[in-house]
Amino acid sequence: MLKRSRQFIQAYRQAPWRRQMQMIGYVAAALVAVGLVSALYLNITGRAATAGRLVLRSQRQIADVEQRIEDLKTQLAFISSTEVMQQRAAELGFRPVSPHAITYLPVPEYQGRPDGVQLAPRAGSRFGGAVRLPDTYTESLFDWFSSLFADLGGF
Amino acid sequence: MPREHSWRYFFSAAVFALVGMLIFWRAYSLQTGAQAEAFLDQSEFFSRLRKTIYPPRGEIYDRNGNLLAGNRTVYEVGVHLPSLRGDAPKAIALALSGMVGADYNRVLDLIEYGQQQGLVYVVLSNYVLPEKVNLLRSYNADLPPAEGLSCSNDPALIALECRAHLARSYPERDLASNILGFVNHDNFGNFGVEQQYQDLLAGVPENIWTPTDPNQAQALPTIPGGASLVLTIDREIQAMVEDVLDEHLLISGADSATAIVMDPRNGEILAMTSTPRLDLNNYQTYTEIFDSNRPFNRAVGEVYEPGSIFKVITIAAAFDMGKVTPETEYTDLGVFSHGGITVRNWNNAAWGEQTILGCMQHSLNVCLADVAVNDVGPEKFYEYVQAFGFGRPTGVDMANEQYGWLRLPSHSNWYPADLVTNSFGQGLSITPMQMVMSVSAFINEGKMVIPHIVKAVVQDGSQYSLSPQYAGAPISAETARTMTQLLADSLEFESSRALVTGYRLAGKTGTAQIPTPNGTYDPNQTNTSFIGWGPVDDPRFIVFVWLERPETSIWASEVAAPVFADIVERLVVLMNIPPDAQRLAARGAE
Repeated sequence: MLKRSRQFIQAYRQAPWRRQMQMIGYVAAALVAVGLVSALYLNITGRAATAGRLVLRSQRQIADVEQRIEDLKTQLAFISSTEVMQQRAAELGFRPVSPHAITYLPVPEYQGRPDGVQLAPRAGSRFGGAVRLPDTYTESLFDWFSSLFADLGGF
Repeated sequence: MPREHSWRYFFSAAVFALVGMLIFWRAYSLQTGAQAEAFLDQSEFFSRLRKTIYPPRGEIYDRNGNLLAGNRTVYEVGVHLPSLRGDAPKAIALALSGMVGADYNRVLDLIEYGQQQGLVYVVLSNYVLPEKVNLLRSYNADLPPAEGLSCSNDPALIALECRAHLARSYPERDLASNILGFVNHDNFGNFGVEQQYQDLLAGVPENIWTPTDPNQAQALPTIPGGASLVLTIDREIQAMVEDVLDEHLLISGADSATAIVMDPRNGEILAMTSTPRLDLNNYQTYTEIFDSNRPFNRAVGEVYEPGSIFKVITIAAAFDMGKVTPETEYTDLGVFSHGGITVRNWNNAAWGEQTILGCMQHSLNVCLADVAVNDVGPEKFYEYVQAFGFGRPTGVDMANEQYGWLRLPSHSNWYPADLVTNSFGQGLSITPMQMVMSVSAFINEGKMVIPHIVKAVVQDGSQYSLSPQYAGAPISAETARTMTQLLADSLEFESSRALVTGYRLAGKTGTAQIPTPNGTYDPNQTNTSFIGWGPVDDPRFIVFVWLERPETSIWASEVAAPVFADIVERLVVLMNIPPDAQRLAARGAE
């Protein structure tokens, strides 16, 4: 065994390029490793950035939709306003009734129309506070590795 | 490698090493040096954008859920100055003057000012309606309409930007305008409910920081919108009352008209209006419609001498003290003198043998003055007047409520003659709302209910209903019942024009001369009012009517009483109140 080791060292001493090739190999391996990590990091960062943009765009869309709901409610109120409804009723041949032209029928146990109205919650008022994004969208690669190893029982 | 050249390689390596070290040293000094904190602050500042979120203003509904005040999308039209090329400013000014109605020269001036100041964006017009923006977006018929922020599809107008936002809108236009008030472009409520509930409706704007780094993007916090209000107003009753009032304003030639309809059981105001009214979507015309002396809502914001409707207070005090009853006899001589003044009846006649019922039926000033002076007395009279809520606000939840004007015996400017004139509603001033609140005591077993306009508040997805509040009991339950019977009999015996077939009603007219600036009263200028309620056996409404300076007649019995009858005739239909006979028969059958 000792003899074989001496032969190997002797061979290196006779051909220095082998040593250089070994060094180049180490550097190349390190570069490949760095490249792989960088590629992985870029990939994750890019996806997180895309998701972030999506979140921002969704926020704008939510705001737009809520604004549109408000607008449509008001537009609906315009086309069902008293003046418009009275005009439409008149066009359909309806006219105001006098109290003496009404026949009231007692209906047992009928309590009449409920007093007041129960309004539905407004758009955007359903949540009490902010919705938190999952950590996946904001954590660094190191954070991700840490949590991964923590999940696996390491660290 | 030749040994004599090796120094070059060492030199190069040294230079690179030095540069590298310099870079590291600089990085280190930036991180730890004196300016490190400032740089950190700067990076922090530029990593986020400050955004102020204005919550949408709360909506206002009538009691049945009809929207009275909502929010509509409008646009801010601006120009992105770096995108301007060549004659674009003139093209923009031309387009905006033609489509949006902006002033051509003003637009050019704004653009020029922005360029001189080195600005990036300048607002050219705001609160532009969507219809006008759509015209701009389809400006060039050969191209598809513009979308998003872009305001026009024409290449010459490429720098125009349209940003949508919400603005107050009133679908019913001038309906209930005196109640609602309006919101100006600073999002501040003026008059009525909009002013009274400004803080609640407007919500709380919040400043938030949004990260510029998409990796740090977070969901925005939900900013709760302003609270919505459900009013006690019934849209149909409100529209009806306004129609009737407008009709009679035209017929009578009066200067102004005011009406209130209230549910006496709980103080809920079902309708309230006064003239003039304002199309709230064009609130800019306010100054043209309302001069400086004209209140926005006369029902709470104007005081006047009520005249004979105030006699109900005098008689109620006398009844409550046990000094008189409806059957108490009184000999009317047509003249009564006290405190240095002499008063006469409305027709200057002596009415001879009367009862208190007759005094009220014929509205005799002499009788009432005598009762106030000789039966009630000044101390008790003003005690009752104050207990009925006169001289202080009712507490109705409306902006700009007036107090009225009342001199008391403790005041240095009070004279015994004041008691005489006050007994029949002259020489003091009240608001219509005070009169309505005081009369509610006759209906609620002597307890006065505070009028209110907001029925419920809707906030954070929950609806909170407001319960009725009472303002004391100035008279006993027995006196209250006696007053109702007295005023119902009085109307019937008088064959008043306020009567409505099939329904027993109680009420009182009031004709008051209007004081002139020189301290006298003009006999030809009157305030005519009527206050009544019904059905007498189960009151569901109080109706108050006031016509100022009518031309066709100076008497409330001829001008105001018919308005009351017209309102009640339609009100019983809208409130589903069957005629007394049917209602009492149904009740008897149960």
